Amino acid sequence: MTTLTIITDTEHRLGAAIDGDQVLVPEGTLVDLIGWELKPEGLCRGDVCVPVRDSRIAVGDSIDLAAVTEALGAPVVVDAVERLIAIGQAAIDRRQPHDVGTAAPFTLPDLDGVDRTLAEWRGRKKLLVAFASW
Amino acid sequence: MHDELAGSGFTIVAVAFDDDPAVVRPLAEGITFPVLIDREHLLSELYAITNVPTVLWIDEDDRIARPNGVAFGTDMFADFTGVDSEIHKEAVRRWVSTGEVDLADDEARAAVVPLSAVALEARLEFRMAAFLRRDDRAEAAAAHFARAVELAPHDFTIRRAAMPLQGTDPFGEEFFAMYEQWQAAGAPYNGLPA
Repeated sequence: MTTLTIITDTEHRLGAAIDGDQVLVPEGTLVDLIGWELKPEGLCRGDVCVPVRDSRIAVGDSIDLAAVTEALGAPVVVDAVERLIAIGQAAIDRRQPHDVGTAAPFTLPDLDGVDRTLAEWRGRKKLLVAFASW
Repeated sequence: MHDELAGSGFTIVAVAFDDDPAVVRPLAEGITFPVLIDREHLLSELYAITNVPTVLWIDEDDRIARPNGVAFGTDMFADFTGVDSEIHKEAVRRWVSTGEVDLADDEARAAVVPLSAVALEARLEFRMAAFLRRDDRAEAAAAHFARAVELAPHDFTIRRAAMPLQGTDPFGEEFFAMYEQWQAAGAPYNGLPA
């Protein structure tokens, strides 16, 4: 067990173990880390469940993050030396532009540090402008 | 444009692929619509964005009505890119008033494709590098920035965004070197053309 930093859309620090290809975290931390939790019906976020038949996910009281991300189709990169892991978005959140369904939801801080979500502007047409100072 | 159409059930939402709100604040001066900070470039992953500025149209029910494409809200960049924002503004006005989108589904599908596994990996490498930099682990940060650029040499949200984080000028020689390589590679761009 060592302290790892896990970068999702934010940073988390928690006790975990890297063992070969496995990244073991306490089961209760999963939902806070990636928004998904392991239930009898699979990996679930709210009402959405992805069925999993991967017996490698639960390891004793721990969850293997590597197996979870694989099941969700989320990219992951591990730097064992720096004790750093980055996890990307689940495949179902990387929307095809013209898939039936809504734009992937997001929550980001505004310039005052207040979290804003896409759903806030439901009922309005939105021009989303991505820009940068660089 | 926001103020003109805000009464018609419309809003602009601006999202900066930047890590420091202090850098963005001057750019947002006088702006009345929300300006968000996307330090981890989350939207580049969710909506397959490889360069900014770019624009997506998202309708009342949060569906993507028009996927990401070059279209500048101001003429700030017009000198450099030759893109005229007025054409796009007219299309937005029409969409807001009639719901009409100036684009066929198959055009949209062809213009924006899902990011490759390599492009996704590059985004994670960039995030790791940016974190390591903030955590004063400069050497490890440099290695991850280098890996990100190696994986996605023509992706502006990675290679150009990494420049200021590594102390190089994103409007200087390194950028022009990148720009030349990008052009030589056929100017790959994942989005609707201007």
